[in-house]
Amino acid sequence: MSARLPSLLLFAALLVGWEAWCRLGGLSPLVLPAPSSVLATLWSEITTGRLWPHLAVTAAEMALGLGIGTVVGIGTGILLTEAPALGRLLHPYVLASQLVPKLALGPLFIIWFGFGMTPTVVITALICFFPLMENTLTGLTEIDPARRELFRMLGASRLQTLLRLKLPAALPVIMAGLRVAVVLALVGAVVGEFIGGRIGLGASIIAAQSVMDSSLIFALFVVITALGMLLYEAVRALERRVLHRFSKG
Amino acid sequence: MSTEPGFVTIERARYRYGADGPAIVDGIDWQIPRGEIHCLIGRSGSGKTTLLKLAAGLLLPNEGAIRIGGGALAGPSPHAGFVFQSPTLLDWLSALDNVLLPVSLKRRTTATDREAALDLLARVGLRDFATRRPGELSGGQQSRVAVARALIGNPDLLLLDEPFAALDALTREELQDDLLRLCALNGTTALFVTHDITEAVYLADKVAVMAAGRLAHARRIELPRPRHRDMRYAPSFAAACRELRDAMDGEAAISERPAA
Repeated sequence: MSARLPSLLLFAALLVGWEAWCRLGGLSPLVLPAPSSVLATLWSEITTGRLWPHLAVTAAEMALGLGIGTVVGIGTGILLTEAPALGRLLHPYVLASQLVPKLALGPLFIIWFGFGMTPTVVITALICFFPLMENTLTGLTEIDPARRELFRMLGASRLQTLLRLKLPAALPVIMAGLRVAVVLALVGAVVGEFIGGRIGLGASIIAAQSVMDSSLIFALFVVITALGMLLYEAVRALERRVLHRFSKG
Repeated sequence: MSTEPGFVTIERARYRYGADGPAIVDGIDWQIPRGEIHCLIGRSGSGKTTLLKLAAGLLLPNEGAIRIGGGALAGPSPHAGFVFQSPTLLDWLSALDNVLLPVSLKRRTTATDREAALDLLARVGLRDFATRRPGELSGGQQSRVAVARALIGNPDLLLLDEPFAALDALTREELQDDLLRLCALNGTTALFVTHDITEAVYLADKVAVMAAGRLAHARRIELPRPRHRDMRYAPSFAAACRELRDAMDGEAAISERPAA
């Protein structure tokens, strides 16, 4: 707690400064609403229940996109490592596909999948896919050669070598990829909703913008940040648990 | 060279990396009778580790053959245990599970297997450390676990590649005694690669000096068994070390001499 005290004090000072600037500086609430106004709007959104359906949709899009991106990213990383010829053939295409800005694909996904959650989930999954594939690829190719020779010497099959040596040894690198993917998942879900969403936190920001409700936009920023931190901490907790099982002890 | 029939027979083995590369192992003939410990010494790059990997079946010779118990090797030998330069333990497994790894890769481990693994750990002084992970063990303890892992299936042949090189002198001597005791227990045949002449003389029935991929010199070590630490100070021990050192220096002088 004492370690976090300075950053909490800084946060409180920034809020007080922001509030004072809004009240004393004659700044229009349209440009920058005061923190007290943002908190009041947030409280109103919570108590009236208007926030929950949007939060649920964005959280679901994030979770689905992250889940699909994780499974496909790790699976592709394993496939490209275990079948080197396939890796050499496909890796340039996988890389090229990731260099296309995913958000620019949003309008195309709306044509393909219609409005609703699906295009946002696809965008989120595409964004999460790359760090997991790349980290899996890196983790699996950096296994100590002596340990690989040990498994050869012990007559281990390819599957045994993958499951009992390569994946456990690569887990710290894969988990680092997952941490990056969580942050990107939130960006994917919110910005995906900007493009084609009717419900969700991103869609709510667009709706608030159309009625010039800056307080609501800031209140939604707070919710999005809280959601991101919650998921990030959940992944950190999972990482600690997994790495405790598979780490150096 | 020994006239006894070799349990391990290396016949005119030649190995090179790539089709046009120089021979790393260049036409070596060698026999190790069952139950004997042979050591290979030589400078870095002399081909010791490559010859050891050929004996393990991790590499296959371009020419010649390696036979263990009469059968020519076509891949990693199921009759051999290998101890690498580093302990190569799996960080996420306990010492006991690391020792059991060779068994658990073949079948589900039983209570008997666990007893055998605990017995091996006890023999290397680590019975109380069975549940510890490698990160919680010292370098010497990790090397002991690696030796126990190599011996879990009672292999006929033990191949060791400078396994104690990174340890301090006292720990290294303790591990040498552990190794001699464990090999004597089951009559295990061993081929041990080292840079350390005194280690080779203390452990071996026969020591060979490798240089430029060839066996440059070999001598039997006539010290009685079981070996004990006082033997290190015996004149015959010093004489053997001196002879091997001179052989290594002689080979170095020949390899450094400009071509005529």
